[in-house]
Amino acid sequence: MQVELDMGEGRSSEALLPKVGRPLAVRWLGALGRGAEGVARHAGELSLIVWGALTALFTGRVSFRQVVREMYSMGVQSLPIVLLTGILSGVVTSQQGGYQFTGSVPLYVVGSVVVSSIVLELGPVLTAVVFIGRVGARITAELGTMKVSEQIDALESLGRDPVRTLGAPRIIAGTLVLPMLVAFANLIGIAGGMLTAEATLGLGRETFLYGARLFFHAFDIYYSVGKGMVFGFIIPVIAVHMGLRTYGGAEGVGRATTTSVVYMILAVLILDATFPMIFLR
Amino acid sequence: MLEYLNVYKSFDVPVLSGVSLTVAPGETMAIIGHSGTGKSVLLKTTIGLITPDYGDVRIEGESIFHSNQNTIERIRRKAGYVFQNAALFDSMTVFENVSTGIPEEQLGSLRFREVLKRVAEALELVNLDPRAVLSKLPAELSGGMRKRVGLARAIVGRPEILLYDEPVTGLDPVNAAIVHQLIERLGRELGVTSIVVTHDIEGALLISDHVAMLDAGRIRFVGTPDEFRVSDDVLVRAFLERDAMTISDRVLEVV
Repeated sequence: MQVELDMGEGRSSEALLPKVGRPLAVRWLGALGRGAEGVARHAGELSLIVWGALTALFTGRVSFRQVVREMYSMGVQSLPIVLLTGILSGVVTSQQGGYQFTGSVPLYVVGSVVVSSIVLELGPVLTAVVFIGRVGARITAELGTMKVSEQIDALESLGRDPVRTLGAPRIIAGTLVLPMLVAFANLIGIAGGMLTAEATLGLGRETFLYGARLFFHAFDIYYSVGKGMVFGFIIPVIAVHMGLRTYGGAEGVGRATTTSVVYMILAVLILDATFPMIFLR
Repeated sequence: MLEYLNVYKSFDVPVLSGVSLTVAPGETMAIIGHSGTGKSVLLKTTIGLITPDYGDVRIEGESIFHSNQNTIERIRRKAGYVFQNAALFDSMTVFENVSTGIPEEQLGSLRFREVLKRVAEALELVNLDPRAVLSKLPAELSGGMRKRVGLARAIVGRPEILLYDEPVTGLDPVNAAIVHQLIERLGRELGVTSIVVTHDIEGALLISDHVAMLDAGRIRFVGTPDEFRVSDDVLVRAFLERDAMTISDRVLEVV
């Protein structure tokens, strides 16, 4: 069948092709190409944001006041929920360890398990997830709303780069604050685990700490805080990126925020899986 | 000198199809046309808020599309942009919003009192009482007041070029007249080059030195307001008479 197409001026021929008539392989290739293009575009835009934030930082063109304000908002105001998450992770790990080890392994091992689990894994990852929900989503929604209401355009029209003005302070603040939150989460998580072990297993604090020291390396602290720093960098980078590419009004802001949260969680989990391969070999 | 050189832009469908236009220094150019003809898109290409698919826009010979970030910011600081919906920063007070219009390098060297003075002057120029509005948030202002705060933000940096996107839409006749007078005054007294995108044909003819009419992404007419008034172009006549039916009737006649 011959299909006659009236191609309006400037219209791409692809948009006008009848989709049903395309062979399956062509459609798959098209989808693959669009997917690859999307990934490349995201990667390029993310790189530009990182580059913009770094150049703004090293040329001293970031508002110090804005960084401090963001650090307060991200750090101090996130502390209660981070501490709660930390203590609960300690409580759970301790009880689970007790359940598994009672009658088979000396119970002081609970101390090792709690400290290692929290410092190496639960502290950084759970804190990052809380940070994504509380800070990352907020950044995307905030910048997305600014984007759809032309406030980003207004900022650009005033000769101010949105990445430098809005992105860089958030990225710097996140990179500085999340390691501190991780450190607090680790401390409170270990304390929670120790108290739970005492209450539920009758494991004395000294015994718990003996177990904790048994497999502990000073490097673990750097590892934990380093993870926090990397997560604290990547979360606002993704949040800023997704916020600045928002379109489509209120619905678009909602869509950008949920997509951003998914990307941030995926990024944290992928990086978390990469860390042991590089540093714990 | 502001030059649009063969500008093309499409968003799935063509919006601008080869627009070429020159605006002389100190001139006020009104760009008119029906909704969806690409007026706002053309205005946004001026300072690179939208990148054309083809063609170029040059401000004093410099192209924003072939420059590094520092040059882009410098070119943009030459222009003030009045957005259709004001686009005020909604988490900032009126004072903070307007002071954002002062270039950063100037802000760093100005004392707070000097910044306050410049902000107050800009607000007074647009007929707003600084004492009444300075500490208010945009949400606490009426639509007309927000629009005028947006205008104050655009002029506080003392730009060489002012770009107005529907500056009087949503304003009552008194405030619309004030804004028209202000546009005219800024052009006459300060030599500011202005481009006014508007549906308000009467206001456009009153304040502009030249009128450009966009139709289907192309420049349909360029001339003085007097030439516009007596033009025998079928669409110009229809636009002047503001009768949508007339447009199709006359187009049918021509066809």
